[in-house]
Amino acid sequence: MTRAPVAVPQPRTIREERLARDGKRRRPSHHAGANPLREGLRLERVPDPHVAVLFGATGDLSHRKVFPALAQLWRTNLLPADWAMVAVGRRPYDDGTFRMDIAESLHRNCRVQLDEEAERQFLDRVFYHRGDFADNELYDSLTAKLESMHLEHETGSNLLFYLATQPSAFPEIVAQIGRCGLDHERHEGGWRRIVVEKPFGRDLDSAKRLNREMLKVFRESQVYRIDHYLGKETVRNLLVFRFGNGIFEPLWNRRYVDHIQITVAESLGVEDRGAFYEETGAARDVLQNHLLQLLSLVAMEPPATFAADALRDEKLKVLRAIAPPTRQDVARDVVRGQYDKGWVAGVAVKAYRAEAEVDVESETETFVAARFEVDDWRWSGVPFYLRTGKRMAKRASEIAIQFRDVPHRLFEDANTDPQPNLLAIRVQPDEGILLRFGSKVPGLGLDIRPVTMDFTYGTAFSTDAPDAYETLILDAMLGDQSLFTRADEVEAAWSIVTPVHDAWLDQPAPAFPNYAAGSWGPDDADELIQRDGRHWRRL
Amino acid sequence: MTLSTAPAAPGQPMLRWQSRAKSIDGIAAELGRIWSAISLTAEGPDGDERRVAARSSVMNLVVIAGRGEIGERVAAIVEGLTGRHPSRTLIVNPADPDGPAWLDAQIQAHCVLPSDSAPETCSEMVYLTCGGESGQHLAGVVAPLLIHDLPVTVWWPGEPHFESRSARELLPMADRVLVDGSGWSGDGLAGLVAMAELPARFDLQIADFALLRQARWREAIASTFDRPTLLPYLGHLDRIDVHYAAQDGAPGMANVVRPMYHVAWLASRLGMTVVAPMRPGTEAWTGYAGLLRSGRRRVPVSLKPVESPAPRGTTLIVQLHATRGRSQLWIEVTAYADGVVVQATLDGESMPERRFLAPRKREADLLAETIESAGRDQISRDVLAMAARLVA
Repeated sequence: MTRAPVAVPQPRTIREERLARDGKRRRPSHHAGANPLREGLRLERVPDPHVAVLFGATGDLSHRKVFPALAQLWRTNLLPADWAMVAVGRRPYDDGTFRMDIAESLHRNCRVQLDEEAERQFLDRVFYHRGDFADNELYDSLTAKLESMHLEHETGSNLLFYLATQPSAFPEIVAQIGRCGLDHERHEGGWRRIVVEKPFGRDLDSAKRLNREMLKVFRESQVYRIDHYLGKETVRNLLVFRFGNGIFEPLWNRRYVDHIQITVAESLGVEDRGAFYEETGAARDVLQNHLLQLLSLVAMEPPATFAADALRDEKLKVLRAIAPPTRQDVARDVVRGQYDKGWVAGVAVKAYRAEAEVDVESETETFVAARFEVDDWRWSGVPFYLRTGKRMAKRASEIAIQFRDVPHRLFEDANTDPQPNLLAIRVQPDEGILLRFGSKVPGLGLDIRPVTMDFTYGTAFSTDAPDAYETLILDAMLGDQSLFTRADEVEAAWSIVTPVHDAWLDQPAPAFPNYAAGSWGPDDADELIQRDGRHWRRL
Repeated sequence: MTLSTAPAAPGQPMLRWQSRAKSIDGIAAELGRIWSAISLTAEGPDGDERRVAARSSVMNLVVIAGRGEIGERVAAIVEGLTGRHPSRTLIVNPADPDGPAWLDAQIQAHCVLPSDSAPETCSEMVYLTCGGESGQHLAGVVAPLLIHDLPVTVWWPGEPHFESRSARELLPMADRVLVDGSGWSGDGLAGLVAMAELPARFDLQIADFALLRQARWREAIASTFDRPTLLPYLGHLDRIDVHYAAQDGAPGMANVVRPMYHVAWLASRLGMTVVAPMRPGTEAWTGYAGLLRSGRRRVPVSLKPVESPAPRGTTLIVQLHATRGRSQLWIEVTAYADGVVVQATLDGESMPERRFLAPRKREADLLAETIESAGRDQISRDVLAMAARLVA
């Protein structure tokens, strides 16, 4: 994503401007504020030297995502040479054994392998620190360790905390960081930031509580709440697509758009995360964050600037324009499902209730579809259909803008009616953008068939797109919050999803399982959209 | 025509199709045949049939090879970038200017499989040798072979001659020109002046690999002034010295385009004006000296040769000095094996050293990077214009 340009010193008075234009006087060398040498360097910018402190370093997320992303940043020289990491975990490692463990993860999970030397340099900067997150001793010894590391690595007291733990550990860790004063920023550099993984709360109340705990210690400008979907290349491109092109935005409203579908479908089941998923479900795991974030990016007004808060203000307005659903709304406009056994990609898979660590009578939803309306001037009357599920027919994430039909059928003699135009933004896989329009079939008759103009990233830019985690971690290190969710955004999203959960609690036990693995969800989801005379896109 | 249907391995470019032609019409016809064979299939890794995808649709790359060996080197580099950008590459190699007019073209389609599940992405390469008078009329040769509506980048490896007929023929159709100023003969400075005129003459962008290679230096210098305490000194610079590698110290023996770009970048970003252009000293090891003005302050600048085993003209050290009231700032950015290290001293007190990794980039990396960062680059334009003023 393009960051806001750095301001260039400008002549301040009309006289200075006239003289500067005539070349009679140089532009004033007024350097209070922006660094003029920074201009044009944004793609090369390397974060300040700092120590990253990763809590939950032995966990699955750290091994699959965080360390590989950091290693890629190291490989591409985007981490400062004076960078170091303290990896905090409960398991009994020392620096040597932990580094061996990380090396294995890197070999398994890195999108581009590091050469031997780069890997050694990267691992040499990772130090293991063992302890229990609830134990004061962990934080006291960590504080002492960080002091010596700042001196040894000359990191200017800059600290990036990364919470890749179970959410239940967040309040304790944050409070302990505050107790030790590790959150205090210093006048001469010395920034302190904290990156927090989703889920951020499990309902509106808990999110508010968590925000309160977080903001007792950190300021909002220090908090980076990760929703990794926002770091995906296609999602970032959505902003460029909408606001960097002149031809789409005039059509982007209720006058031309019939409805919008957003799908995040996974072919995988819960894998070895049964216990986690039992407590979470599809609405909390995907609807509250990924789907509503995508919706807000699609529906938002153009921000006045590309500054983080301007962007987030506009997203927030969208979320607040969605009325929290009533019990009746939930019964009518939200469908939940749970997968039964079935076949996915030619392989027989078991039912959700047969997965490890899952209750055999589980009522946790693995699928949710919902119809929302964004009640504002631009979108009034345009339904947004959202769906997500596990064990669906294929892995596919997409935003589809379905345009209205032509107002007048001109080609009455045509053998085929023209279909309305469609713009599909494929988030994954085969990232790209597709525009469908009608075209005459060559021949003597007047057949109209839909054809597509298809932009695929692979054929335009075969460069390796960075993983979302690389983008987001680097942004956090650089202090750019544009792609991170703010506390009020999180709460606004929960204010939409929490009433859904509350309504489900009041309803009789659902007739789960209600869709076969390898299908596109329960029949009720089809009915949800067909009721409006529409249908889900076949992906 | 030769067609390969061998299975491709992900990420490994392979030659899918090749042919030969002796005329422009023949080349165009052969290029058309590649894509009329759109039902072309290749055997996938599991024995399945895979459709060879259409050409990537990004840009035309025209390479003015000049000599055969340059053309071969360039062909190898571009082949490595298959699927990564150039949709059609025309490597133009004028030959035998006094002989009869003739054309010989090798036409190839290289494809790459981005991943197991994706279709192949292909790009075309035409290796064109133009003999006799056809080599004098390159516009007539190149223009019909460009893919319309795609931007045209002209890569001019080696020593470009911006006043030559080739330049006059090809540059009007270019959106961007790629050069490597650090490879030019002598001190390379004469080429900078000629190159700085191109954007206005032909409405094009210029990318110089010599400037690109210094990205990490610029990052290192800029980062130093990100510190709030040091930023105010930026408006008070009163000396800039750049040390470069030399073997014998005689002026004109080392290409100083890269060290000159450091000065030009700083001067252009800080709104300095040239009082006295950079001139070589008359004796060995004196390098180049000039004078800039920043407000009322005069800023002496120098390029100093230092005996070093590093390639001639390589930047070794950039030194900046600033005086603000009675306070003095001294910054020294020094090259080391894998990067640069910044040392700042404020009023005699050393600040923490900072290292920036900057491994040497290969020509292929620079080409890819340049192509990827398409768009107007006002910074390069300003640096180039300032460099021209510095050596005018």
